[in-house]
Amino acid sequence: MDFSLLKGVLESKSYGKIADICDELMLQVAAQGIAFQDEWPYAIHLLGHIYVNDVNSARFLWKTIPSAIKETKPEVIGAWTIGQRLWTRDYAGVYEAIRGFEWSPEAQGLVSAFSDLYTKRMFELLLSAYSTITVSDTALFLGMNEEDATNYAVQHGWNFHPSSRMLTVKRQPTVTEQKLDPSKLQRLTEYVFHLEH
Amino acid sequence: MESIEPLIAHIQGLSSSVDDISHLHNLLKQSEESLQSQAAGLAPFLEQLDPSKHSLGYLYILEAYTSTPIQKEQASEVVVFITNFINSCLAEQIRLVPEKFTCVCKRLKDQVLLLQAPVRGVGPLRTAVRKLQPSSEHLTALHPDFLQLCLLAKWYKTGLCVLEEDILEVDQPRDFFLYCYYGGMICIGQKLFRKAMELLHNVVTAPMSSTNAIAVEAYKKYILVSLIHNGQFSTTFPKYTSSVAQRSLKNFSQPYIDLATSYSTGKIAELESCAEANREKFEFDNNLGLVKQVVSSLYKRNIQRLTQMYLTLSLQDIANTVQLSTPKEAEMHVLQMIQDGEIFATINQKDGMVSFHEDPEQYKTCEMIEHIDSSIQRMMALSKKLNAVDEVISCDPVYLAKAGRERPRFDIDDFDTVPQKFNM
Repeated sequence: MDFSLLKGVLESKSYGKIADICDELMLQVAAQGIAFQDEWPYAIHLLGHIYVNDVNSARFLWKTIPSAIKETKPEVIGAWTIGQRLWTRDYAGVYEAIRGFEWSPEAQGLVSAFSDLYTKRMFELLLSAYSTITVSDTALFLGMNEEDATNYAVQHGWNFHPSSRMLTVKRQPTVTEQKLDPSKLQRLTEYVFHLEH
Repeated sequence: MESIEPLIAHIQGLSSSVDDISHLHNLLKQSEESLQSQAAGLAPFLEQLDPSKHSLGYLYILEAYTSTPIQKEQASEVVVFITNFINSCLAEQIRLVPEKFTCVCKRLKDQVLLLQAPVRGVGPLRTAVRKLQPSSEHLTALHPDFLQLCLLAKWYKTGLCVLEEDILEVDQPRDFFLYCYYGGMICIGQKLFRKAMELLHNVVTAPMSSTNAIAVEAYKKYILVSLIHNGQFSTTFPKYTSSVAQRSLKNFSQPYIDLATSYSTGKIAELESCAEANREKFEFDNNLGLVKQVVSSLYKRNIQRLTQMYLTLSLQDIANTVQLSTPKEAEMHVLQMIQDGEIFATINQKDGMVSFHEDPEQYKTCEMIEHIDSSIQRMMALSKKLNAVDEVISCDPVYLAKAGRERPRFDIDDFDTVPQKFNM
């Protein structure tokens, strides 16, 4: 089995590509009838799905892993524990699963990149879902201690009320690309014109 | 017995130009019988051919060779043989004999299932579908097999690649039924419920002259997915549904209809007891997981209903109305729904309140325009296709003869063609 492509991606930290590369490679070796299961980097493969937020695929992959491998490779279980917490929307539990395992050097970079990404995703979620939120909940969602969480939020423009230990969420106005290709507008106009005549 | 050697020499010599290949094709057709009769001894000849050049000849010999019963010890080897052929064959040559290619690929599927290694067939069948179909609009006889292997091997994501394309050309109704049924199951696994509904709906409403098991199972899943995705289910069929389906499908799906009825009351306890009462039937149909998703979706549905009635509401009130035990649980439900884009709301933890908002989409971003434009393009393509089919049918002598018989008095208006309005 040729894992050079996967190694390259891990080294260049293009973690978003891991899932697809592993998928294709696995289909290839499986089709050739090679018994790949014992050597397969299941933990990395699972984490690759998790990194791109595809918990469904991580779950289906987990179901195909032979039980002998689940028993002998604790890192595979460690990786799936993260997936499981995501699956059940145990927001704070995801961080526990990340910290609760001594990751191998190969997985370490990927896991910490996912952790950062997950914190960002959670912050975005809080931003869209809350107007005020307690410091303790913010800390749970961001996987930080209360002080760090408060600092993180204040840095992003939120207000901190020490008396109530509450944060007021401040939304940044989002700038979306509004510039329109005139030919697109022309085409839509033609459709409307056609329908009206 | 005719010797195979000269045929091999022909295959090697006549595999390059189009004329040569059509000549070779005739020779191969004539030799079919002698190939079949010597099937068991054909393996050595395959080694003399290059599947990437002599695809047509290779296919004839491979098909004959694999038509004999395959011993269990050989199965793995045969699978590798066929896989290599699928990967290296020339599409334009194998499309001359689609039925033979399909047959070989189906044997690959049977063998990987016997070996209990469905994943071995996923990659090869994906390639096979691509090589066999003249365009992405065509449904091949291999689509259902590919999707079935994806399901059995739990490679759902890979199955999606063929489901993203709009199928407009279908040969065999059975292929279409299975394609939509398996496709629906793949989309359910990936939680793409809207797409799943579309596919299952196609099965239920497709023309059929007698009830078939695929449609019955699809209808059951369709009911469940409708509840999860839309929060409701209507037992009336669209009017283009075949009368067979309208008459019989409901009779086979009573527990599911009951579930939909109790869902519409909005009462969790009632829905749970209904699910429990029919538990065995759901389990037997392998739909229990989906039924559980239906039950948990009722909380969401009830919250969604609240967003239409109130501008703000306390978490405590939400918990009370939708029968959740604590305000915190209500908060987590609301949060999940915001995360999934199912409602627009903000939670105020300080006051324990939720305010509900309108959809903030203003339909003026580039992305949205792009989306609208591509939808219109798709519709136009579909409409053109429909017009073309309609024209073909209205010129079809068999159809005209039948239509004429049923309506003895000839009336020129009966043959009025398509409305011209949407021709662009």
